[in-house]
Amino acid sequence: MVENKELIRVVEETVSRDDVKYVVGYKRGTYGFQIKPAFAYSAKDAKEFFYSPLCAKNLATYPLLEEKLPLRRGEEAEHKKIGIVVKGCDSRAIIQIIQENGLEREDVVLIGIPCKGVIDPKKIAKRFPKQSKFVDVEENNNDEYILEIGGTSHKIPKDELLSDVCKSCEYPNPPLYDILIGEAEEEFQPEHFNRVDELEEKTIEERWEYWEKHFQNCIRCYACREACPLCYCKTCMADLLEPQWVRRSVNLSENTAWNVMRAFHLAGRCISCGECERACPVNIPLMELNKFVEKEVKEMFDYTAGLDTEEKPFLGSFRPDDPEDFIS
Amino acid sequence: MEQLTLPKEKLPELLGEIGSKFELVGPIEENGFLAFRKINDPKEINLDILLSRVPPKSLIFQQTETLFTYAKGKDSKVQTPKIEETKRVIFGIRSCDARGFDIIDPVFMGKKEGDYTDPFYTKRRNRSILIGLSCNEPDANCFCTSFDDSPANTKHVDILFTDIGDKYYVEVVTEKGEDLIKKVSKIFSKATEKEGNIRKETEKAAIDAISRKMNTEGVVEKLDKMFEHEFWVETARSCIGCGICTYLCPCCHCFDIQDESTLKLGGRVRVWDSCMYEEYTHHASGHNPRPSRMNRVRNRVYHKFNYFPKNDGIFGCTGCGRCIDYCPVNIDIIEVIDKVKEVNV
Repeated sequence: MVENKELIRVVEETVSRDDVKYVVGYKRGTYGFQIKPAFAYSAKDAKEFFYSPLCAKNLATYPLLEEKLPLRRGEEAEHKKIGIVVKGCDSRAIIQIIQENGLEREDVVLIGIPCKGVIDPKKIAKRFPKQSKFVDVEENNNDEYILEIGGTSHKIPKDELLSDVCKSCEYPNPPLYDILIGEAEEEFQPEHFNRVDELEEKTIEERWEYWEKHFQNCIRCYACREACPLCYCKTCMADLLEPQWVRRSVNLSENTAWNVMRAFHLAGRCISCGECERACPVNIPLMELNKFVEKEVKEMFDYTAGLDTEEKPFLGSFRPDDPEDFIS
Repeated sequence: MEQLTLPKEKLPELLGEIGSKFELVGPIEENGFLAFRKINDPKEINLDILLSRVPPKSLIFQQTETLFTYAKGKDSKVQTPKIEETKRVIFGIRSCDARGFDIIDPVFMGKKEGDYTDPFYTKRRNRSILIGLSCNEPDANCFCTSFDDSPANTKHVDILFTDIGDKYYVEVVTEKGEDLIKKVSKIFSKATEKEGNIRKETEKAAIDAISRKMNTEGVVEKLDKMFEHEFWVETARSCIGCGICTYLCPCCHCFDIQDESTLKLGGRVRVWDSCMYEEYTHHASGHNPRPSRMNRVRNRVYHKFNYFPKNDGIFGCTGCGRCIDYCPVNIDIIEVIDKVKEVNV
């Protein structure tokens, strides 16, 4: 349970440090179950920060979105830290980025949140449609979410609203943090990622039909890429014109190429925050691709992304003792 | 304007008949959201979900448009794809989405005699007959009334259907609509005055159910004064730069033109583009006049709420609420405009 008072106190303290530029966390959104990224530049901005099971968004993408404007002669770049409120998966994203030299450890101050899993915004909006005012949700000790709409209190079993990706989470506590809010959560016993298992039982034809149905709807808005903390290439291969890896035409073939390429580029890097799937406006189950690749990487190379800043990245490592048996 | 009614249970019959005479497009539920698709069986149509995820602008201003194709070598030739010119009925379009066409028509079809008209858009627009469906239960982020529109506006469609309980109240607005009604069966009845009143009450109830409002008074002038304001940096701070707000907008109409080829075959395509992408204004020289998210978010707001009204006398927004509904970081255009009004300049 995260006490908002404690969170605000920590954010105030962090943002008041001389070496911190700002802190990014969550605030209440403008309607329904929406939350917004909040940016605190001074202690007074921290007042609007909050945390609830609605705070699904992975904020690890923000330090990478910092725009570095060209410096004048003699001017030196400002080396100030960015404070970020991180859950387990968000912290793993930061670890992974540091591992890949995308960020330095001293670039960030991590305010860790022990996570009990987050609500899937699509599931809750479907359950309680047409909410034009912000509605907060709390979790009780009985595995239920509690919310109040128009004076009526609702109790919903956690399982019905929990993000699918949280059901298979093994790291609810941030593996890397500077300050932890409250007590670490007990490690869960994660379910297998059922959606991948179900897909694997299908025939090739059935699977192709399944993905075809989804990929043909892709509008290539690249929300998956932009929301993903690990899609931070300076120029994405999808934007390259020379050579053009993916054509701009939006059709099944190019859409498939785009989505499959993205999944490959996240092999051994995806930390399962589910941000791509949450952002997708046409409900493509992108985590099924990512989780499938994660499973392969785990089984063949016994590698898990985003756990140790000192570890070599998956594609940059070679271990003669990995479990893949085709070598021997 | 002819006023008719149609018993609800006769709708599949009517749509079946329309489908046998014209190409019929309507909203169906697919992968958990609504999409406009060619209708083969009227039973597929879903009228319960309010808005399609991708607006029906995609039926006329297609996301990918092949402008021409070519083949290299001895038999080289350039071909322009043919666009079907027989009438196509788009059933179930909502007021805000239909109004989107009124906003982008001048872009592709010109404002006055002698202006360039885009053949692809114009042909598809002219072949389309829009049958609108009034929204009786608006969604949380609907705000069409902020633009003097109504969930049951007849102005933007050829025929408007309004659910008045056990019947549809049918208003035949344009000549195109009249022609269509003449060609389909006589299952319509003349509407009575009582039914007309129910229709009016239904519209009023729907208008009252819209809870969000954007106050656009004075916003054009205010924006004139705050282009360089720090406000834009703050507003764009959380933007991640995806294209959802523009691709799901019924008024956004930017495109890119690309040549795509294999060894022997190729073509030139026109595809949707988004001002939210860094690449959108990236010059060949490497210079980018909109280098940061601040520039891009600001441009989107200015285009809709300053440039559009100045150039065309109309806001580039219909109040459908999609950009609010699907923004991954809750950048809420109503809130942005509210805050614009609060900024001190």
